[in-house]
Amino acid sequence: MNAPGHPFAVSRFRSTAASVRLSVLQFVADPQWLIPSMIAPVIFGIVAYQLVLGSGPYFLVYAILGAGMMSMWGQTLYGSGWATGQDRVFGTLEPTLQAPTPYVYVVLGRILWNVVSGLVGGAIVYAVVVAESGQLPAVANPVLFVAMFLFVMVTLASVGVILSAFYVYTRFAGFIQNIGEFAFYVGTGCMFPVIFLPWWTNPISLVFPPTWALDALRYGSIPGYQGFAWGFGWDVVGAVATTAVYLVLAGLVFHRVERHVLEVGTLADY
Amino acid sequence: MPPDPVIETRGIRRVFESRKGFLFTEKTRTEALRGVDLRVDPGEIFGLLGPNGAGKTTLTKILSTLLLPTSGEAHVLGIDVARDPQALRPRIGLVLGGERGLYNRISARENLRYFADLFGLPASLRDRRIQEVLDRVGLTEAADRRVEEYSRGMKQKLHLARGILHRPELLFLDEPTIGLDPKSARETRKLVRSLVSDGVTIFLTTHYMFEAEELCQRLAILSKGKIVARDTVAGLRRLVGGDTTVEAYGFEDSEIDRLRHLPGVGRILTEEFGPRLRLTLRSSGSELTAESVRAALGSAHPDLMVRERRTVLEDVYLDLVEEEAA
Repeated sequence: MNAPGHPFAVSRFRSTAASVRLSVLQFVADPQWLIPSMIAPVIFGIVAYQLVLGSGPYFLVYAILGAGMMSMWGQTLYGSGWATGQDRVFGTLEPTLQAPTPYVYVVLGRILWNVVSGLVGGAIVYAVVVAESGQLPAVANPVLFVAMFLFVMVTLASVGVILSAFYVYTRFAGFIQNIGEFAFYVGTGCMFPVIFLPWWTNPISLVFPPTWALDALRYGSIPGYQGFAWGFGWDVVGAVATTAVYLVLAGLVFHRVERHVLEVGTLADY
Repeated sequence: MPPDPVIETRGIRRVFESRKGFLFTEKTRTEALRGVDLRVDPGEIFGLLGPNGAGKTTLTKILSTLLLPTSGEAHVLGIDVARDPQALRPRIGLVLGGERGLYNRISARENLRYFADLFGLPASLRDRRIQEVLDRVGLTEAADRRVEEYSRGMKQKLHLARGILHRPELLFLDEPTIGLDPKSARETRKLVRSLVSDGVTIFLTTHYMFEAEELCQRLAILSKGKIVARDTVAGLRRLVGGDTTVEAYGFEDSEIDRLRHLPGVGRILTEEFGPRLRLTLRSSGSELTAESVRAALGSAHPDLMVRERRTVLEDVYLDLVEEEAA
């Protein structure tokens, strides 16, 4: 027996690593994941290439960004929330929350895995567009491009954490996410720059970290790109600031949400 | 000095509120627990009995930190469950059982490994401990098969294995043998007894009276969110009139008074049984027997049936729950 009051120390890192491992095992065990992670990026790549074909020297970058973001959005953001929804369906949300690890560390593990699989999706898009066009895309600054690409993933993940909290909060989170999916996708500039949208939508878009990061990514990879007037530097600052706010908010929200579900007793609902 | 209780509750109430109807405007309120006072001592198997909807699972979830009480206090292992659930969780185990609650597409071993990590089992100990609990519940051979291939009984065993993986001091078992075949149920009861030998305190909810009678040192009966009785099995028997039960059928209704005044009768229950009444008499001593009932009624009853037997927990349960319902 453990000495009273001295149970095993719970390592947050190990809990997150266990969550990554579980995500990988479930991914491998469930063939349905092949569709969003492997097949969808191929289709997105083909369609995006056809859409932007012939529109300037950087059309390949537009295609890769549009299709790549679409693929990563699904994996990183949607997948992270959905995994918590699945915990409700499987009935594993209760035993997971009953474990001493705060649930946010479990969510973090899932997001890490989703980031990796999202990047794989992005790489598939890249390969498809390059194969289709028969040429490498002209990227002004490849290092900056890759760095900003990764940064966009981080900003998407920060929204993913908040969405996961919604899934813990209510079984109707999937419904809410499905309603907001397209608006979020367009509103943050995943497919095309936000600047093309009506001016009054911009303040709403700027609430979300990926909007800033995507604009910065385009500034960094497409010479002559005309996004938000404040330019690349402030885009990065805005993205870092909003992501930090989201992550702090996530910690607070998760703590509150975990308490709330114990109050209302809806953990077993699905 | 009595030992410090493992579980102590005072006036636990739990109200569930939900909304339904168009735009969720219709509000419903259900009082699942209506002031529960309970004490469980270290090293015992404490049984909680009650009909469906009595509040057993609600109470189990409150005590195991999955639900907060609306009011009242609950201390488990000296920790306030509402104030510091995080401190309590590593020290307790919970087995809710059923078909859900497991990751079906991965193996039992992987399920256990995941939860071992969430419970912070040291990496050096983890795999050995997983093997140990797999052996203990008899799942070693199937440990690397996907859980979706498991029978109901095997899933139940896996739930149990997860519950004891981190060697809790207190284990909550919510209907652990429900849906199990007799052999698996017996193995589960054996395992529960062996856990007690290891020093684990067990809080058990069950529908099966013989199981409670066989396993539990003390019991509480929960009905409509209230504890209606709590004692040892022998004490509960006394509460409903005694160890001996004599059932009689086939007499005239007007003759009940004659039986009522028989020596040794502690309690009389009547129920309609076809066109006549069936009478249940309880007694603590040896004065009341089937013979004494037959003698009191005389010989002019061709349909008379009198049966004497030991009062079982099911009698106690039915008496108390029906009394509460009435």
